Amino acid sequence: MISFEPTEDQKLIAGTVADFAKSSLTPRAREFEKAQAVASETRRAAHEMGLSMAAVPEAFGGQGLGLSTAVMVNEELAYGDPAAPFGLPGFGSYLLAVQELATDEQAKALLAPFADPAGYDTFGAVAWSERKPNRQRAGFATTAKAVPGGFELTGAKAFVGNADLAKSILVFAQVDTEAGWNGLGAFVVAKGNPGLRITGRHKTLGLDCGHFGELSLESAKVAASDRLEGRGDFANACIRFFAKYSLIVAARQVGLARQAFDVAREYCDIRKAFGKPIGHFQAVAFTLADRHMDAESARELVRRAAWAWDAGKDPSQCLLFTAQAVAHAHQVAMRCADDAVQLHGGAGFMRDVIVEKLMRDAKQMALAGATAEQMDQLAAAVELGIPLDPALVLPTTETQAVLT
Amino acid sequence: MIDFELNTQQRMLKEALHDMGKNVIRPQSLGWDRQKSIDLDFLRNFYMMSQALRGENNPMEDFNEGPKNRDPNKPVQTNRTAAVGAEELAWADASIMLSLPGPGLGGPPVRATGTPEQKERFFSIFRDMTAELRWGAYGLTEPGAGSDVAAIRTTCRRDGDHYILNGRKCYITMGGRASWVVIFATIDPALGRAGHRAFVVEKGTPGFFVGKIEEKMGLRANETAELVLEDCKVSAMNLLGGEEKYQTKEGFMTAMKTFDNTRPLVAAMACGIGRAAYEYARDFVKENYVLGRPIPRYSAIAERLARMNRQLEAARMLTWKAVWMADQHLPNAKEASMSKALAGQAAIAACIEAIEICGAHGSLTEDHALLEKWFRDIKVYDIFEGTGQIQRIVISKRLLSDLKAF
Repeated sequence: MISFEPTEDQKLIAGTVADFAKSSLTPRAREFEKAQAVASETRRAAHEMGLSMAAVPEAFGGQGLGLSTAVMVNEELAYGDPAAPFGLPGFGSYLLAVQELATDEQAKALLAPFADPAGYDTFGAVAWSERKPNRQRAGFATTAKAVPGGFELTGAKAFVGNADLAKSILVFAQVDTEAGWNGLGAFVVAKGNPGLRITGRHKTLGLDCGHFGELSLESAKVAASDRLEGRGDFANACIRFFAKYSLIVAARQVGLARQAFDVAREYCDIRKAFGKPIGHFQAVAFTLADRHMDAESARELVRRAAWAWDAGKDPSQCLLFTAQAVAHAHQVAMRCADDAVQLHGGAGFMRDVIVEKLMRDAKQMALAGATAEQMDQLAAAVELGIPLDPALVLPTTETQAVLT
Repeated sequence: MIDFELNTQQRMLKEALHDMGKNVIRPQSLGWDRQKSIDLDFLRNFYMMSQALRGENNPMEDFNEGPKNRDPNKPVQTNRTAAVGAEELAWADASIMLSLPGPGLGGPPVRATGTPEQKERFFSIFRDMTAELRWGAYGLTEPGAGSDVAAIRTTCRRDGDHYILNGRKCYITMGGRASWVVIFATIDPALGRAGHRAFVVEKGTPGFFVGKIEEKMGLRANETAELVLEDCKVSAMNLLGGEEKYQTKEGFMTAMKTFDNTRPLVAAMACGIGRAAYEYARDFVKENYVLGRPIPRYSAIAERLARMNRQLEAARMLTWKAVWMADQHLPNAKEASMSKALAGQAAIAACIEAIEICGAHGSLTEDHALLEKWFRDIKVYDIFEGTGQIQRIVISKRLLSDLKAF
């Protein structure tokens, strides 16, 4: 039965998160940006509220609230400060990747530290992208060579969220160099691995409190049990991981779009020109109406995709809904942020007002997880009945490099 | 709980309309377009079928009061079901929904403001149409006043037991064959909205004529008429709601309320036409393009297809939300306008893109004629029942403080 009404629990959770975001994130957004980190006490408060593990199944120490609740939580956090969720430990790329790729036993062990009271200081990372496409052959330049007892990883990874903070990094590397994008493997590399070196932190356009960085691997040895095999279907597990992670990012874009819209709307109410509020001119009012339609429709598309996953719909339908939601949300957030700056005029360009940060964050976020362009290709592939070849539908470095 | 699953009745309705659309309606759609009318036999059969299907919560709800003994505060499914049905029917052919026998757009104002006696008198003719199909219509737009409703110039003045109406109405859907039309007139243009009166003017009323039947870009199978009122003598008993309804401004507001529930249905229809064009282009690409090979043209086409489809999905979400709110009896004027504004835009874009994707084939009126027809049909969906610009006025008035008018 078609319904847009969240459950009582979801309303309560979303309301609590919205209050937290309003009191603890919005007023400190600029401070986090400058510090390039979310303050430790804020992380602790979020962790104590149970935000980090809300969507993780109970079997793995989470609350098992599903993606439907996770997108609401992420939307509300991002409404407070869209950069903050990237600097909070918890429901980001690592937790999702482990859930999709690991066996139950591996997932239990890998996720346990996040549920721990000290979890507020526990970060994980996913090392996917590389700086340059590999020109010699299809696939990543980073390789995993089988050695007695495990693998040796060699190469360099870039655009890795929380690279410098992560206690555990999931590294994607080429296992079979002949098999192109079908020859990938995923390996858990612990922070203390002697072959692992964090080589730097990216200076980024936006999302400053997300620690995006680079790392190199020099014969980093991992055990055979550190390999995550996607429960027998690695390629599809990777596609699912990127779909779900991108959907979480899309929920943050919805939060950003709403914040940009609300700030712009308030400004259009109070800023006067030619004797009346600028919102009383049609060119301005219609722009606001368009952006409102954008933000509202993106929110419902994101919620529908999350619903499809939680309801166990057919995988191709889940992927299609997700791809549509993500591509729409990325474009919508950029339009909302852009217009919020534009409607502020010169004031929008100044750092005194939050909209310039939102615009930078929106563009940066459009490159986290699969991009709108990649998602459109995925959606078209599903609709046209083309096999979901990883080379076509994963956000590989051959198309657009993405942040994870 | 948030849910996007159709209920059993909606799913069955959708499937039934889809099958009929594909096998019965679409093969006749071009013929109707060219002969500029839908076969009466088809309309009669369709009407009989919907009568047979009628049950509790049926979209073809009782024209009079709706199902009896219903708690007015209890959520219903009617609007959601109607949206699902409207989309599917428009997917098959855009003109049918607007040509269905019954009171049409004239229904809502009569239902909302009519006295019990008027409702009985005007709705009873639709109760049994086995022998003869009948229509109602809604006459608001004039040559000089469309979106600016307050500017209508059709006049009415009391004359004993009657009102004398003078003026012209245009672009009236099913106006030529309607048994009665809700006509909006003013007792004094200087009074603005407070001067407006709504009448049910019946066919054959002295001084009431059908003028020109319009030739249109699209929706050609649907009748659009001009109506002329020349010293038209309408019984005071046909003043909708009776005199007391007009002591307050409510009289006029009623006209506007008509649209809160119909705008999402127009949006749903637009989604259906856009979806038809999208699916056509998608299937054309499947059959005529070399897929799965790294040809640069393919990814550009794939992106276009994906964009068309997701914009339609975004519009469908707003449409479903607006009808869901209506079913919960929540005020939805803003959401209704949002759904229509976005759906009109998305569906027009889809129809244009579909033609481009099919290349020269897309513009042929022979092999791929449906595509060419949908392109002509869809444009008006961003025009009638409030243009996209009017929708944005409705929306922005609800977003900005103290914005009464521009």
